[in-house]
Amino acid sequence: MTIRYLVFFAQVHPEFRLPELQSIAELYGFQVIKPASLPGVSENEIWNPSRPFWVIDLEDEAHAIALAERCILIKSIYELYGHGNTYEDVHSQTLACAHLWQRFKEDTSFRFIVTAYSDRIPMSRQKEIVDSFAFMDMRGKIDLKNPDETFTCYEEYPDARYKTKEDDGKNTLLHIFFGRLVTVGKARALVQKFDVKKRSYYGNTSMEAEISLLMANQTLASPGKFIYDPFMGTGSMAYTAAQFGAFVFGSDIDGRQMRGKGDSPGIMIAATQYGVAPRIIDLCTFDVTRNPLRCGDLFDAIVTDPPYGVRAGAKRLGRKESDRDRRVQKRLANPERELLQTTAQEDYVPPTKPYELSDLVRDLVRLARYLLRPNGRLVFFLPTVTDEYEAVDVETALCSGMEVVANSVQDFGNWGRRLITIKKTTNESFGSPFEDGEETDDDSKNHVPAHKDFREKYFKRFQKN
Amino acid sequence: MVRLITHNLLACHAKNCTQTKGFPLAFNDVRVETKEAEFNADFLKSFYERKIDWDALVGAAKQLGDTSLPLERPEMVDDDFLQLLHHVLLEIHVEEGEMICPNCKHVYKIRDGIPNMLLAEHEIG
Ligand SMILES: C[S@@+](CC[C@H](N)C(=O)[O-])C[C@H]1O[C@@H](n2cnc3c(N)ncnc32)[C@H](O)[C@@H]1O
Ligand SMILES: [Zn+2]
Repeated sequence: MTIRYLVFFAQVHPEFRLPELQSIAELYGFQVIKPASLPGVSENEIWNPSRPFWVIDLEDEAHAIALAERCILIKSIYELYGHGNTYEDVHSQTLACAHLWQRFKEDTSFRFIVTAYSDRIPMSRQKEIVDSFAFMDMRGKIDLKNPDETFTCYEEYPDARYKTKEDDGKNTLLHIFFGRLVTVGKARALVQKFDVKKRSYYGNTSMEAEISLLMANQTLASPGKFIYDPFMGTGSMAYTAAQFGAFVFGSDIDGRQMRGKGDSPGIMIAATQYGVAPRIIDLCTFDVTRNPLRCGDLFDAIVTDPPYGVRAGAKRLGRKESDRDRRVQKRLANPERELLQTTAQEDYVPPTKPYELSDLVRDLVRLARYLLRPNGRLVFFLPTVTDEYEAVDVETALCSGMEVVANSVQDFGNWGRRLITIKKTTNESFGSPFEDGEETDDDSKNHVPAHKDFREKYFKRFQKN
Repeated sequence: MVRLITHNLLACHAKNCTQTKGFPLAFNDVRVETKEAEFNADFLKSFYERKIDWDALVGAAKQLGDTSLPLERPEMVDDDFLQLLHHVLLEIHVEEGEMICPNCKHVYKIRDGIPNMLLAEHEIG
């Protein structure tokens, strides 16, 4: 037996909503069930990401509470008593499920809230609507401040952003929902807590709070998990993963990103501000393509925002083809001297060469296959030019044992970025893609993904010639 | 930072140093701090059972002046042992100093708790 709930979502990041619900359900081991049909709702309107209300079925109220504890995009959850296009429908459904609210009839203090999404209901009509539920015969004390239960009636009107020309002027009532508030979304407040502007250490690559939180949820972060960010930068996702209890390990080719200018590392200052410093296991400076980890099969998740060239270009150790020969000559001439020079210098910065994004993404997926435990997740952003994007772009980066479980776009107009969640579905151990011998396999290389040479396209403002 | 759990995972990766030859790195000239860490039995158990290099951990702890661990890797994982493991793996932090490769002698410097594991140009294969 399932119970029907109404979820009221924040109207942001619509494509992230379902993956987040599914991730939290997977983390706690329950199902979020999509209703096969709903009275007065056409099938393609069920779970429409552009609408703020979703009806879901759950096996237990505890599951609703768990979702509201963790899902960043949930504003509130109600036990649903009735919904439809008219109040007659809502009333008759409410009556039909009297067994759900009968227990609140006698000794429960309560209040009624009548409100609208994307419109305002005048006081007089609010009162009429409240009165129309008199058949419920609630006898407990009315308490507007601190009631035991809140019954809420929502009228949904079209979101201003999605209004069509025909809608103009008039505001058509789309749907009415009535139910009992189970819980407000507890995780949404974290968006304020992790606000980058209020953070004691951040940089121009810092990831916005809401997305960092959504990413942490995609990793299934929870106490005792071990999570790695190989492009740590200023650590935005480390704080949110640690907030949910995970231990975090971070690395970056550029120590200054993690360190900042102060005496103690900037990341540790911000982690202290958030109360998660003990969960930042370590920060190391290294090139992810030359990484010193002794073994794989280590992490429960890898969460990262790879450098894609716009603000922080990807680099790897080595030299551009053009000046390599010259250096080799020099090195052969005096290897001893160079060794002394480099390792003794305090802040030796070895030369780097550009790292093309599509290579980086392919390497990242293979590195994750090596470093993740079975069922571990890789969560990362893939920038892409919107009108050139094809689904195969993510596919080209995949390899056996790694499957996409979510792919949500954040749309910035002429470019976008996709948050990709990939799960390691194999128990087999694979080597690191950066060890000698591993050849880049298969023919997926022949397809040119839209994120190839992203940096160049970005600076040409995506003009095609 | 540079906790012993991290030390237990880092190997020299310069060319000609393999994950076995370049491990474990030797501490030198270190400044150590102890800081309370969060105890999580599952995390410790899974690291102990699946990933730990016991001899490397015992050796590294000894270099930092902690000889609380038994030389032989215990079979029995009880609460007392987990507490011990917790302290050694997570609460001892090397804030300054060096880690030296036993094979090629590359010196990895640690500053403000962050080790510089970058290789120089001639060290990459
Ligand atoms: C987009 S930023 C990550 C930002 C980070 N999420 C934050 O909150 O600040 C990418 C980072 O990758 C680092 N990076 C670039 N190439 C790298 C490489 N080959 N290995 C490791 N890190 C690299 C850059 O130094 C930069 O800090
Ligand atoms: Zn070495």
